[in-house]
Amino acid sequence: MISAILIFLGLALVFGLLLGYAAVRFKVEGNPMADQIDNILPQTQCGQCGFPGCRPYAEALANGDSEVNLCVPGGHEVMIQISEITNREPKEMEEVPEVAEGKIVAVIDEDTCIGCVHCIKACPVDAIVGATKLMHTVIESECTGCEKCVPVCPVDCITMIPVEPTLQNWSWAEPDPTANTRPLIEKFS
Amino acid sequence: MKTGFFKFLAKIYPMAKRRLYRFSGGVFPRYNKSLSKQHPIHKSFIPNELILPLHQHVGVETEPKVQVGDKVLKNQCLAESKKGLSAPVHAPTSGEIVAIENRTLPHPSGLTGLCIVLKPDFKDEAIDNILKTDGKTPSDPKALKELVYRAGIVGMGGAGFPTFAKIPDEKGKIHTLLVNGAECEPFITCDDILMQTHPKDIIHGAIIVAEALGCERIICGIEDNKPEAIESMQAAVAELDHPNLVEIQPVPTVYPMGGQKQLTQQLTGIEVPAHAHAVDIGLLMMNVATFAAIFHAVRHGKPLTSRYVTVSGLGLNHPFNIEALIGTSFEDLVELAEPKTKLNYPLVQGGPMMGFEMPNNHVPVIKTTNCILANPPKPAEMVMPCIRCGECMDACPVNLLPQQLYWHARSHEFDKAEKLNLFDCIECGCCSFVCPSHIPLVQYYRFAKGEVKKNKQETLATQRAKERHEAKLAREERIKQEREAKLKAKKEAVKRKAANEAEQEASTPAPEQKAPSSAAAAARAAAARKKAAQSSDATTTESTATSEDEKQPGAPLSAREKAIAAARKRAEAATEKSEPQAATNPAMSARGKAMAAAKKRAQAAAKKSENTESESETAKDTSSHTAEVDSPELDAKTRARLAAQKRAQEMAAKRQMQADQTEISAQEENTAKVEEAPVVDKRQAAMEAAKKRAAARKKPLPDNTETSGSDS
Repeated sequence: MISAILIFLGLALVFGLLLGYAAVRFKVEGNPMADQIDNILPQTQCGQCGFPGCRPYAEALANGDSEVNLCVPGGHEVMIQISEITNREPKEMEEVPEVAEGKIVAVIDEDTCIGCVHCIKACPVDAIVGATKLMHTVIESECTGCEKCVPVCPVDCITMIPVEPTLQNWSWAEPDPTANTRPLIEKFS
Repeated sequence: MKTGFFKFLAKIYPMAKRRLYRFSGGVFPRYNKSLSKQHPIHKSFIPNELILPLHQHVGVETEPKVQVGDKVLKNQCLAESKKGLSAPVHAPTSGEIVAIENRTLPHPSGLTGLCIVLKPDFKDEAIDNILKTDGKTPSDPKALKELVYRAGIVGMGGAGFPTFAKIPDEKGKIHTLLVNGAECEPFITCDDILMQTHPKDIIHGAIIVAEALGCERIICGIEDNKPEAIESMQAAVAELDHPNLVEIQPVPTVYPMGGQKQLTQQLTGIEVPAHAHAVDIGLLMMNVATFAAIFHAVRHGKPLTSRYVTVSGLGLNHPFNIEALIGTSFEDLVELAEPKTKLNYPLVQGGPMMGFEMPNNHVPVIKTTNCILANPPKPAEMVMPCIRCGECMDACPVNLLPQQLYWHARSHEFDKAEKLNLFDCIECGCCSFVCPSHIPLVQYYRFAKGEVKKNKQETLATQRAKERHEAKLAREERIKQEREAKLKAKKEAVKRKAANEAEQEASTPAPEQKAPSSAAAAARAAAARKKAAQSSDATTTESTATSEDEKQPGAPLSAREKAIAAARKRAEAATEKSEPQAATNPAMSARGKAMAAAKKRAQAAAKKSENTESESETAKDTSSHTAEVDSPELDAKTRARLAAQKRAQEMAAKRQMQADQTEISAQEENTAKVEEAPVVDKRQAAMEAAKKRAAARKKPLPDNTETSGSDS
């Protein structure tokens, strides 16, 4: 009887110490959920969710202060992923944006640009180069298509255009499962 | 014996042919090679216009070196790029550059690309030996690579990978050189014709590469449906000085025998691992046409400007092979072959298994074009549901699971498809060929590959966007802080300036003013000390007072105090510990070894200070007061209030007493220093600060800011 109690007390002590040690040794810094969510967000930093960027939205989601369906560029897929991570009910996107055909990027009409640097300040990813009273231009490869530069331009010289496919980024289209095929060779010799 | 048996069995059961070669799968389409082979090689043909795309290879686009209106000679370099993997483009004939513009490329996307358009003058004036070679075999791989690069040679079997990039930098890395003469696609005979007509070019090209790379063997694999080619190649080998170096090996006829990994396995028995290149295992394979091009470049200094092209198809009356100039349009070549009907259907580049229809028939022959196929469109086949027959699995030459890949690609589960080694698929089309439901399986794999690549790029782009955004935030934060710091510095400078002016106006009195203020501060500190002492405990007056004294941070004026902070702390701890003992048992023994010395010092200090006249007076005062308070056993609040009143009365007296007498006590006893030092320091510091200020005023401005900065 006594020995059993002692054994269990001993075990409880050992495991308690182990758990206590593990809690200190393997302490998780910060909120890992915010990082997880931040990783799946499209990082356009567009602010359409109402937060000043992707990271703040991810943090708000991790704290449970926000809805799962606010990421417009991410769309339905990101919403599903967020609800999986946060363990919350998926919620349909409120505003369904017109299905954008591929990536869009900002283009500055360099003849109209007055060099006001407003767009440079607005760009969340530093994708616009230029200086005061000098022409600005967009680094296409870095542009995320967040459209933040469009409203701040005083002369409306920024337009969003879809990225044209090139030989490098072209890929085969999805075959239509209902369409007929026309093989180039007669089968079964 | 074994092969004989299977050959016999194949007459009854055709799939028994699959036991005749080393890799699995494969299909046996109708070859139709005699179509183009039965006609003689077409005489050379210069069209009215040559379209030379700047991008004919895997890698980056070249940049034009010529301008519109320039007259160019044959073999002249028209475009090259130093930016990355690329191959220069040379003029196939002499003429004038009439345009550099976007034209439709021979690519399944139907995209346009920048092309140099050359109008031939039909004189065909050439620059001989433009590569400036001496005709000798390069002795080391680097020289060979350089020459191959300048000649603009790319993999001519269809891959279009710049050949120089395939050649390793060091000698001895490749032990066996493989020559690909399999040509397994139906209809195509250009390599066959090349082997029949120019076997020596191929063999010598291979020997040049083998010598430069230090290869021990050369194996040439030729499908056994090309007996003439095998014969002529063997004859060319027999004429060599060392015929043992080169081995012509007939291989069974099966599609896709011409695939690099398949032919390697057939010739050497080594299966090239997934995600590895043949070069990694000491093998290097090139197409026969590539070797011929290398031969011409090394021996004659001639760049790649023409190639053998098969113009064939069921829709042509006179299919043929031709040594076509790069840039000749498909339409022009097909017209030469007399189409049976008007050419109102898309032509196919490449063979029927792996080729693709051209979006526009006016596209040029490029370095990788081996065949132009004019097959009238066949009736469309209805795509039916997969019946899971598993034929595709049996046919796959790389042992994949085409059916699984199909399901995953169709349901957009690309990660699962990737796990099933989607990227090992060589897109040979065997699965589509055998599918009884006519499912375009290869199309699904191509689509899935594209999507996977796109997703990976997107992930990378997202990562970059995140990094850039974070960098921007960090920069903004830094700038903000810098601005604040600047503003602060400016404000301080203004303040200091104002203070300096004020001081200058008041001239000398400043130090005197400061000194009393510091004395007052010391007095305040002392008062605070008393307050704390009285409220804390009645019995431990003196020692607590000293400990509290040291705790007071209000008074400090100099940085010196900080320097002795450690010493003070020690003393503090010591006095606190010794409090009870000081009151009850002065001769207490050391409890902790580590603390013993400090404690003793503190005890002694407490005792001595009691003995000291001046100190004991004040101490007795306070202790008597507190004793009075203590005896009625009032609560802490009342005690504190009373103490405060007492303090107020004593303040003035104490201020002077302490100020004068602490110094005396400090001189009297070394040990007392523990308590007194701070007070002494405070005064000294105050004095010193005043002195500094006075000195600083005489000094120039920068120094002034420094000293005042340290003071504040």
